[in-house]
Amino acid sequence: MNAKDVRKVIVACDAGMGSSVMLAATLRKQLKGLPVEVEHTPVDAIPADADVVLTHAGLAARARAAAPGKLVIPFQIFLGDPAVTRLVDTLKKGGDLGA
Amino acid sequence: MADTYTPPVYGTGVKATIQRLGGHLAGMIMPNIGAFIAWGLITALFIPTGWLPHEGLAKLVGPIISYLLPILIGYTGGRMVHGQRGAVVGAVATMGVVVGSEIPMFLGAMIMGPLSALIIKYVDKFAQDRTRVGFEMLVDNFTAGIVGGAMAVLGILGIGPIVRVVTEAAGDAVSWMITNNLLPLASVLIEPAKVLFLNNAINHGVLGPLGVTQSVQDGKSILFMLESNPGPGLGLLLAYLLFGPRLLRPTTPAAMIIHFFGGIHEIYFPYVLMKPRLILAVIAGGAAGVFTFLITGAGLVATPSPGSIFAYLAVTPRGGWFGVILGIVIAAGVTFALASLLLGFGRGEKAQEGAESQQSDNPAAGPEPREPVTDTSATRETGA
Repeated sequence: MNAKDVRKVIVACDAGMGSSVMLAATLRKQLKGLPVEVEHTPVDAIPADADVVLTHAGLAARARAAAPGKLVIPFQIFLGDPAVTRLVDTLKKGGDLGA
Repeated sequence: MADTYTPPVYGTGVKATIQRLGGHLAGMIMPNIGAFIAWGLITALFIPTGWLPHEGLAKLVGPIISYLLPILIGYTGGRMVHGQRGAVVGAVATMGVVVGSEIPMFLGAMIMGPLSALIIKYVDKFAQDRTRVGFEMLVDNFTAGIVGGAMAVLGILGIGPIVRVVTEAAGDAVSWMITNNLLPLASVLIEPAKVLFLNNAINHGVLGPLGVTQSVQDGKSILFMLESNPGPGLGLLLAYLLFGPRLLRPTTPAAMIIHFFGGIHEIYFPYVLMKPRLILAVIAGGAAGVFTFLITGAGLVATPSPGSIFAYLAVTPRGGWFGVILGIVIAAGVTFALASLLLGFGRGEKAQEGAESQQSDNPAAGPEPREPVTDTSATRETGA
């Protein structure tokens, strides 16, 4: 998927109330000015119009089951994970996000 | 591409299934936590032993816990299965297990809500193709009414008594563990399950409903504190700050603030998953905390959610702060000491760094992120 096609990034956690809200707020700040929406949801309720799903590696299996065919990017740590940093960079500069 | 940076640590189907099941239980409770907090605050303030005893206002306590909270749970459980119609039928059906029950019917609500919604879902599917044009509203309203009413009757006659027996048995098992001082052993299960993202399932799906039953009887419960104690996570992050991998050290102060004050425990799970032997440190710290809570007779009125120190202090009954704070401090201290030991007080880190710098071109990173962390300031603002 190309970065310029991304309109909605979903941050998913178990309940959709704690860590995902925090990371979504951070991402929203970092992506300010881009035509990209950032939302947080429970991992079992990823909306159909999501383009990219960010979730912790421990929940990635559930995210893939709940949103088959979507680009799921797992990360390890909640602050400054390289996978998240790379996503932000790619969205800003353009380029390919991977399968 | 992201996978090369962050390989899944584990990811079996069984784990995902357990997480999902637990997620459903927690998903019925967590959207309603605001109501739990309202109840906890009203209880802590206005009951005869509270901060501002007031007979009139204390009348709120019973009906909220007996009716409002279970019905909210049944409503939410129904909505998860079949939207607004499921929610309405789930709420009506929950009345069946609530009425005439001496104990708060959380477990009953968690069964009745989704079960009734599932039934109306199938009824809807059956009726949809058979309804004549113009009769949709009539059919919709009466199927919902009949299913809801029937389930409420079934709740009083059949499901209610069964759930009561199960809840009481579970409560007895917990009291047995408490009286025999076995409760600290629960940490051996809770702490590993917690870092596998079963934290909400355990706390809100299992311990919370049992704790509320106890809290109604005794005015407080230790069960709210088994999973939600912020001490072990704080101790672990402190050990990482001083002795952890150098690349991660700059992230830990922000993580500590988010964890301890913001109550988002998920932030420390990755630090355990990166070095799995540290699970011993959080188990020991958790158990030490529970043991301290036990001997000081500490307990909370309602579930502290999120597990922040502020939430803890807000739902501590009058005169109970000493044991609560001591248990958190001891849990943090024990975890910190043991985690520091397991991290070799930073000595192993130096040796590892020397080895790493020689092969720094290799992009196939281990579980530890290699890029320096930059943007902690933005996170700190939003988290704290």
